[in-house]
Amino acid sequence: MSSNTVVTDSKPTWAGGRSPFNVSYGKLMMWIFLLSDAFTFSSLLVGYGAIRFSYSGDPVTPWPDPALVFNHFPFAHGIHLPLLFVSVMTFILIFSSVTMVLAVEAGHRKDNKAVAKYMLYTIVGGAAFLGCQAWEWSQFIGEGARLNENWFGFTSAAAEKAESLKLFDHVHWDRATDRTPGPVPFASLFFIVTGFHGFHVLSGVVLNIIIYINVIFGTYERRGHYEMVEKVGLYWHFVDLVWVFVFTFYYLI
Amino acid sequence: MSAHATENNNEEYIPETYIPEPELHGTAELWKIFWVLLIITVVDFIIYFAMGASMVRNIIFIVLGLVKAFFIVGTFMHLKYERMFLILAIVLPALAFIGMLVFGLLHEGNALSNH
Repeated sequence: MSSNTVVTDSKPTWAGGRSPFNVSYGKLMMWIFLLSDAFTFSSLLVGYGAIRFSYSGDPVTPWPDPALVFNHFPFAHGIHLPLLFVSVMTFILIFSSVTMVLAVEAGHRKDNKAVAKYMLYTIVGGAAFLGCQAWEWSQFIGEGARLNENWFGFTSAAAEKAESLKLFDHVHWDRATDRTPGPVPFASLFFIVTGFHGFHVLSGVVLNIIIYINVIFGTYERRGHYEMVEKVGLYWHFVDLVWVFVFTFYYLI
Repeated sequence: MSAHATENNNEEYIPETYIPEPELHGTAELWKIFWVLLIITVVDFIIYFAMGASMVRNIIFIVLGLVKAFFIVGTFMHLKYERMFLILAIVLPALAFIGMLVFGLLHEGNALSNH
């Protein structure tokens, strides 16, 4: 036995008969899938950057200031609160990432109850994030944003008013006198990129629910390992990672 | 029969079913990274209101985003504990291809301007 152990450990990494990366097949494939997904999202964000840059210095349809568009907060109608709501969304996603990694850690200890508890917290966090995004979209659409239409251009009088706007100020834009059509890609890219990310979150929540059902039925307890929890965990953290950059490029900059 | 083969027993290595024995790292580091991510997000929020929009502020935001990405991928996705070959197999293609896109954008972006 012990001599066998030594022989197995001294096998060269790439000569076969052992896992060169020392991870399971499924986990390696998940990493490679996430790499390809990272290329997709980076292409979308670079495309967004290029189109946004092409509008810089445009006197007729300047790129709208995100602070004037995404300034809503639930139950605070008409108050200028830029960035606050997306910061709450970011916090929800970071926290659900922590509960996910705690579920993975509980799986390493083979603590079935703790895995189920943390998986449930993660699902609740993901659903809360999706709810926030639905609310954000409904505000945006309600103010006249469509895939092929954008009413976030401001007339010169409204632009002056916007410049003196401070935090907590009451703000009301009259669509007839304050608004003009703005750059169409502002709305369409917002829908495409946050929609693609939101679809990833939705898929993640569905996968988490499947894993959660398996955990409460004891599938992984019988199997002897919680590798599936680790795999959906990788996917879930990737969704959080993408949000970091969507948050940076859509809301902060 | 258990499918849970480890590198240290003498079961035959089957790539499709091989699962390495997980390492235990505890939860202290996970909570530490949570606080780091939360504090960076709060710093983002403060800088957003404290500084006027400028290229310097944009660069600060992008650097803070990359720091957050580093902690999420390293600790939450467990990449920093993996074998060096796996780290390189994931990080190098990402840096090469995304870097190429960003370089293309920065270098040729002027050609897209309508004005």
